[in-house]
Amino acid sequence: MSSKVMNMVQSLNSTMDLRMSQDDSIILLGEDIGKDGGVFRVTDGLLDKYGEERVVDTPLVELGIVGMAIGMASSGLKPIAEIQFQDFIYTAMDQIINQMAKLRYRTAGLITAPLVLRTPYGGGIRGGLYHSQSGETYFAHTAGLVVMTPSNPYDAKGMLSSAIDSPDPVIFLEPKKLYRASKAEVPEEDYKIPVGKASLVHEGDDVTIITYGSMVPLVSRAVSNNSVSADVIDLRTLVPLDINAITESVRKTGRVVVVHEAPRTLGMGAEISALISERMIEYLYAPILRVTGPDTPFPYRLEEYYVPNEKRIMAAVQKVLEFR
Amino acid sequence: MVEELNEQAQREKYVRGFGAMVLSRTLDRKLITAQRQGRVGFYTPSTGQEATQVGASMALSKEDIIYEYYRDVALMIHRGVPIEVMLDQVFGNSSDLAKGRQMPSHFVARNYNFMSIQSPVATNLPLAVGAAYAIKYRKKGNIVFATFGEGSSSTPDFHAAMNMAAVFNLPIVFMCENNGWAISTPVEKQTKTEIWKKADAYGMRGVKVDGNDFIETYKVTAEAVEQARAGNGPTLIEAVSYRMGPHSTSDDTSKYRTDEVQEGSEKDPIEVAANTLKEMGFINDNVVSRIKEESVRIVEQKFDEREKIPAPDPETMFHDVLAELTWNLEEQMREIL
Repeated sequence: MSSKVMNMVQSLNSTMDLRMSQDDSIILLGEDIGKDGGVFRVTDGLLDKYGEERVVDTPLVELGIVGMAIGMASSGLKPIAEIQFQDFIYTAMDQIINQMAKLRYRTAGLITAPLVLRTPYGGGIRGGLYHSQSGETYFAHTAGLVVMTPSNPYDAKGMLSSAIDSPDPVIFLEPKKLYRASKAEVPEEDYKIPVGKASLVHEGDDVTIITYGSMVPLVSRAVSNNSVSADVIDLRTLVPLDINAITESVRKTGRVVVVHEAPRTLGMGAEISALISERMIEYLYAPILRVTGPDTPFPYRLEEYYVPNEKRIMAAVQKVLEFR
Repeated sequence: MVEELNEQAQREKYVRGFGAMVLSRTLDRKLITAQRQGRVGFYTPSTGQEATQVGASMALSKEDIIYEYYRDVALMIHRGVPIEVMLDQVFGNSSDLAKGRQMPSHFVARNYNFMSIQSPVATNLPLAVGAAYAIKYRKKGNIVFATFGEGSSSTPDFHAAMNMAAVFNLPIVFMCENNGWAISTPVEKQTKTEIWKKADAYGMRGVKVDGNDFIETYKVTAEAVEQARAGNGPTLIEAVSYRMGPHSTSDDTSKYRTDEVQEGSEKDPIEVAANTLKEMGFINDNVVSRIKEESVRIVEQKFDEREKIPAPDPETMFHDVLAELTWNLEEQMREIL
C-alpha cells in the first residue's frame, strides 16, 4: 500500500483524479475550475487530463451550477460541482432547498439527485464578510441533504470518495483554513470513510469536546498543550450525526464543550446540546458550553477575535471541569 | 420538420391529438367542480392551453425528457400517461406514485420521462439544462423539452438556463406557454419585450407561434426538436394562448380581469381544433360529440374509482428523505405514530 505526503488540496485533487480515471460519469463543474484549477487550485491539472467536457468552466451563476448538477445527476451522471466560496451559495439556496434536497422525497425515490456540492468555507484567509462564512446550519436544517466536512488530508480523501458514492446529495464543506495547513500520509488507492461516522481524535476521561472542520486541529492542540484528559470528537458528518459516538463519550465524561466557528445562535452546538440534554441529562455533571463565533457577521480586520482560539476553548473546558 | 404521413396516418395522429385535448379539458372541469364540492383540495387547470401542449407533444419522441410545469395535463395525457396517475396524485392516495407528498397538480410520471413538478416556478429549467448536458455528453440522440409560463421569464432561473443552454449548445427546446396571466399579473406587467425575442440576447433561435393552433405548434416544435437533435443547439418557443380558467381553484379571476374567454367561443383552442379538423374532413359533429361523451364517461368512472383509494400509510411520511432512514427520523416516527 503506497502513500504520499499531501496537504488537503492535494488530497482532494488526487481523489477526484483517481475516481474520474475509473468512472467516466463523474463530471466537474464550477467557476474557474478548468484552466485556473479553481481559485484554491483544488481541481488543478484535471482539465488537461480529462478535457473540457468533464471539467466544465461554467458561466458565473451559482443557481445555474447547482441546477445543472441536479439535472445531470438525475440523468445518470455523477457531478461534483464547486461553489467558489460558500458565501456565494445563497442565490442557489432555492435550487438546494427546493430541488436538490426534495427531489427524492417528492418523487418517492423515482428521481434522485446524487451529486456532490463542494465549497470552501470558514475563515483563515482574511476574507472578511464575503469570503469567510460558515453556513453549515442552513444546510443541516434542510431535510434531504447530507452534510460533511473533513479536518485533515487523510479524511478528506476517504470522505470525498464516500460522498461521490452516496445515493444522496452531499454538501461537502471544505475548511479553507486547513487546505494547506498540514500534510499527512495519504494512501494512493481508493478508500472510504463512511458517511455518518465521527472520529475520536483524542481520548481522555474528564471532558468531551465535540467539534468539526477547521476547529479540530485547534482543539487537539489545546488539549495536548494543556494536558487535559479529554475525548475530542471530530464529527466529520454533520448530517446524519453520529449520535452513538457522542452518547458513548458523554456517558463516560459527563462534561461537554462544543466548539465551532459558525455563529452561536442555532448553530450545530445548539442541536448537539439539545440532543445531549434530551437523551442523557442524568450523566451530566455540568452545563454544556459552546465556544463559537459570535452572532456578528465575519469581520475583516478583527478576524482573530471572531474565530475561537485556544484561550477561549480552555476557559470553557476549565469551567465545565470545575463545575460542581 | 414534421414527419411525412399518408392521409390515414395523419388523420389518426390529429384526431388522437384532439382526443387528448378533450380528455384534458374534461378532467379539468371535473376537478374544478370536485374542488368546489370539497372532494379535492386544490387544482390548477390547463384549460386554454390544450392546443399548445398537444401540438408540442406531437413533435416529441418517447425517449425525450420532459421538464414540465404544473399546467401540462394535456401534454401528459397526449404522451400516454393514464389519467389514473393524475387522479391518484390529486387525491394524494396510497396509489399515488409519490405517496401523497405534494399538493394536487404536482405530478410525477417517470416512466413517461416526466421529471416531476416543483412549485417555485422556473427552477425546473436549470435542471433541464443539466439533463441536456448529460444527453450531449453520452451522445444519446434524444432531447430535453422544458415548459414554463410567461411569469417564469422574469426569474433568475430562466436567465441562467437560457444562457447556459446556449453557451454549451445543448439539445434542448424551451417552450414558454404564454397564457397571458401569472395569477393576477398580465404579461404586459411582466415584461416589456416579447418573450421569444429574449432568445436573441442569449444567442439562440427564438420563435413565436399561435398556441391556439395545434398544427402550427406541432410544426414549430418539430423544427426546434430537429435542430436540437442535429446538434444545432437550443430554441426558445413562445406559444401564445389564453388561461381560460383561474390560476388555481384558490383565486377569483373577476378581481383582476374582464377579458374572459368563454368555453366554446371562437378563441377556445378546442373549438379552433374541431373546426380545423372538420375543414380537413377528419371529423364531423358526430365524432366530436362521441369523443366528448366518451371523455366524460372515462373521467367520471376513474374519478369515482380513484376517490375510494385510502390515504398512504403514515409511516411513508418518513421515507425517501435520504436513501436510508436515519436514526433521528426513526425516533421521530416512533414519537409521532
